[in-house]
Amino acid sequence: MIRKNQFFLLLLLPALSLLVLFILIPVGQSFYLSFHRVISGLPQLGEAMVGFENYRDLFHDPVARHSLWTTVIFVGVTTFFELLIGLFLALLMHRHFPGRGALRAAVLIPWAIPTVVAAQMWRFLMNDAYGTVNYLLFGTETASYVPWLAYPATALGAIILADIWKTASFAALLILAGLQVIPPEINQAGLVDGAGSWQRFRHITWPLIRPAVMVALLFRTIDAFRVFDLAYVLTQGGPADATNVLQLYGYKKMFVEGWMGYGSAISVCIFTMALFLAVVYVRAVGRRLLEARV
Amino acid sequence: MVMRCFLPKIIICGILILFGSWHLIAAAAPSTTEIVFLTWKPSQPAAWEKLIQKFQKKHPHITVKRQVSPHSSTEYHAIITQRLKNRDPSVDVFLMDVVWPPEFANAGWALDLTPRFPESEQKKFLKGPISAGTWRGKIYGVPCYLAAGLFYYRKDLLEKYHFNPPRTWPEMIQQGEVILRGESDPGLYIYSAQFKQYEGLVCNMLEFLRSNGGDILDRNTGRVLLDRPPAVEATRFVRDRIIGNAAPRGVVTYEEPESLSLFTQGKAIFHRNWPYAWAVADDPRKSAISGKVGVGLLPAFKGHNHAATLGGWHFGINTFSKHPDAAWQFIRFMTSKESQKTLALEAGLAPTRKSVYEDPTIQQKMPHLIAFLPSFKKAASRPPSPIYPMLSQELQRFFSTAIIKKNVALPSLAHTSAGRLKKLLALEAMMVK
Amino acid sequence: MIPRFLRKGLFLTGVILAVGFSLSPFLFFVLSAFKTENQITAIPPVWLPDFSFVSFQSAVFKHHLFHYLLNSLIVGGTATLVSLSLGALAGYALARLPRRYARFILMGVLACAMFPQITIAGPIWRFLRAVGWLNQYHGLILPYVALTLPLCIWILALFFREIPEELESAALVDGCTRPGVLIRIILPLSTPGLFTAGILTFIYSWNEFFLALLIMTDPARQTMPVGIALFQGEHSIPWGEIAAASLITTLPLIILVLFFQRRIVDGLSAGAIKG
Repeated sequence: MIRKNQFFLLLLLPALSLLVLFILIPVGQSFYLSFHRVISGLPQLGEAMVGFENYRDLFHDPVARHSLWTTVIFVGVTTFFELLIGLFLALLMHRHFPGRGALRAAVLIPWAIPTVVAAQMWRFLMNDAYGTVNYLLFGTETASYVPWLAYPATALGAIILADIWKTASFAALLILAGLQVIPPEINQAGLVDGAGSWQRFRHITWPLIRPAVMVALLFRTIDAFRVFDLAYVLTQGGPADATNVLQLYGYKKMFVEGWMGYGSAISVCIFTMALFLAVVYVRAVGRRLLEARV
Repeated sequence: MVMRCFLPKIIICGILILFGSWHLIAAAAPSTTEIVFLTWKPSQPAAWEKLIQKFQKKHPHITVKRQVSPHSSTEYHAIITQRLKNRDPSVDVFLMDVVWPPEFANAGWALDLTPRFPESEQKKFLKGPISAGTWRGKIYGVPCYLAAGLFYYRKDLLEKYHFNPPRTWPEMIQQGEVILRGESDPGLYIYSAQFKQYEGLVCNMLEFLRSNGGDILDRNTGRVLLDRPPAVEATRFVRDRIIGNAAPRGVVTYEEPESLSLFTQGKAIFHRNWPYAWAVADDPRKSAISGKVGVGLLPAFKGHNHAATLGGWHFGINTFSKHPDAAWQFIRFMTSKESQKTLALEAGLAPTRKSVYEDPTIQQKMPHLIAFLPSFKKAASRPPSPIYPMLSQELQRFFSTAIIKKNVALPSLAHTSAGRLKKLLALEAMMVK
Repeated sequence: MIPRFLRKGLFLTGVILAVGFSLSPFLFFVLSAFKTENQITAIPPVWLPDFSFVSFQSAVFKHHLFHYLLNSLIVGGTATLVSLSLGALAGYALARLPRRYARFILMGVLACAMFPQITIAGPIWRFLRAVGWLNQYHGLILPYVALTLPLCIWILALFFREIPEELESAALVDGCTRPGVLIRIILPLSTPGLFTAGILTFIYSWNEFFLALLIMTDPARQTMPVGIALFQGEHSIPWGEIAAASLITTLPLIILVLFFQRRIVDGLSAGAIKG
């Protein structure tokens, strides 16, 4: 028994050491920094330890509050639609039909394009003078073209749309993998028993792909909280901070303005919120994820 | 017999002698110094490549190794500060955006160049860029090229309606309205410029503020002027008369490329941009209005002088560099009259040395550059401060909100923002100097 | 019951919607790769391009696109292989360890995926500088492995858990060693999971921008996202070249997917689960 566990712990060692070296230690440094006041451009001020002052300032910072709200909306809407569309796409890709491979390749293309390129692409498509979206909606009547990125609400909508377009296939791929492991005999048995497609889905397929859906949901939510590239390229946080998502705000504070301590505090907050959400998921719904299945 | 005894020893001695002399020869010849030049990727790499090769030929003991970053100012700033704040000696020469020298000087990242670049030399450059590279009496950057806000207009349309280029902003709008009525092109707008929430917004708004006698900061007293009437009026003018009126609402998403595109596609009568836009607007392969473009000074408000914001880049040396002398040789070469002439002719970069503007080749081949000179001389920089990035973020936020939200009381918004600026400036004052 | 032809029709509509949704934005954008500079930003927009290949030539020769592609392939390929190997080992261990330990470690691994990449970029950069790995391939590969391990471990742990322990016990009784069990039984049965994790890891390394920007400033080592960012001039966005580059750089991925998606199907029909 003991030898068996030792063997398994040995297997874990390489992966865990890399994680400790490249993630846990930097995270620790960030935590440490968040309790100090460090400003890159003003080294004369030193690196004073200020306890929770950064967090207190963050709590009272109206820009940070607005950022949080923007990010929460972003996470909620994108995750919901990505999972829905991802499920739909996965079910489509699971069926046997000629050209299935081509469909899979097509669906994967949005995910395959680097986010910075995809963001530039959407910037082009949504342009108010020569953008394709406007062309499709209004033809050549350039006077009716809408500057989608110029209004706070539609700018946020554009980022959400760009993210859904890009990441629905991530969820689709995960759910598809889950679908693939279901032995076809189980489905056959359901057919033989006279179950309709909706019943088969609800009682056979859904319980079996629940773990995959949960992993997709978990990772998508965590990633959505850390959205950065899209906002950075498409709008740089504008107009009037409408798309100033948390990590972009943190980036501006840390790398542009030089507030190392404050920026680290923002990252710690992002981390804490994502952790909280993950714990909620796993407790409430994903228990079966980590338990043995009957 | 004797040969066989001595042969190995002779061979060994021979090898040792050869080895030793090779070392002596190598030591006698000076070894090459390698300096690392961390630059953004130039728009015209051939011109830069040519200059670097020329430098290496002239100074055979110095090799220049280039590291490249995207041209985006924010990305380049992130990369270069990551190195400098960690005291990384692996960079010798770098570039600084015109607003960075105070930040880099105060943080101790850029080497004080005053001993190598005395006032007698500085006088040969235009005043604006030199003062932008100076902080607290010492100079930290040698100007590479400069830019200034310029006013572009459709001279064919102005001629058609018998107008002279407008002197004031309201005059520009009046002229525009007449032209719009006459042209009956629903896609035509009066004005195009950069109003996205980014650094360019500060450049544009500063021009409006200063041409109304206002400003963001008083450079001498350090007082914040953002919420004073001249500044508020100018901001209000942009909000009410420009955004969504003279200019399409979309300008709040425009950086330089999109705003220029509106102009070169013939959809805007007047346009504000940097000097580079001239070459694009006049090129028939890139522009639909080639040959119909005029350039001049930006308009002002009644009773005030026109204003132009200064742009451009400086060369700097890393304080932690191990080869400051070689680095200085490189910079001196790259900012020499010949080099600046090459960069002007082949890369379209406006020179910072006064003598280049008097060069006959330049005068013949680039007459528009000479026409830009008055604007270059009057261009004023953004508020110099070691915490300029922080001030800029606050200003971008303020201006973007001010010009978009039509039903927010502007004076109180400006007052809140001014308060935040004051707090930031107090931070700057906390430095013991 | 929905009549058969209607069901087929619904399915077809679904497929068309899926393909349209995924491809059309990209296709509209990529049209710019074939247009001349004036056509790209023409107002009103021009529909049919002139089919000029100037943008492709410029992207490949003037901007050295293939060079960046090669770097991305090296970094992405190696990162994927390493991440899958370490992830498989760890996932297997977590699938077989007692629930209490496994749950704790899995949550810890998940926590590693939650921290914003922007902030850990700084400390990672300092570490790499200290060991002299800046501007080296392994300086980028190892952080990428660390960033993709959480997802790999979770996917693979889930897949390995599906495989009944009786299979292993039987093999062990038959004289197979523990590592042998992993290689000969577990891995072949989890090919869907392996290829899924592999594709996601590769694409993550392919796409990653910020770490690549900070760590690789030597043009010889820069990867594709940074390379494309380098296309931009001071005040110009070369849409044509960017569109051409996007088209070219997506091709390897399409080939990868087309090739591997058959393996996913094959893995399933191996049917060893029947025992």
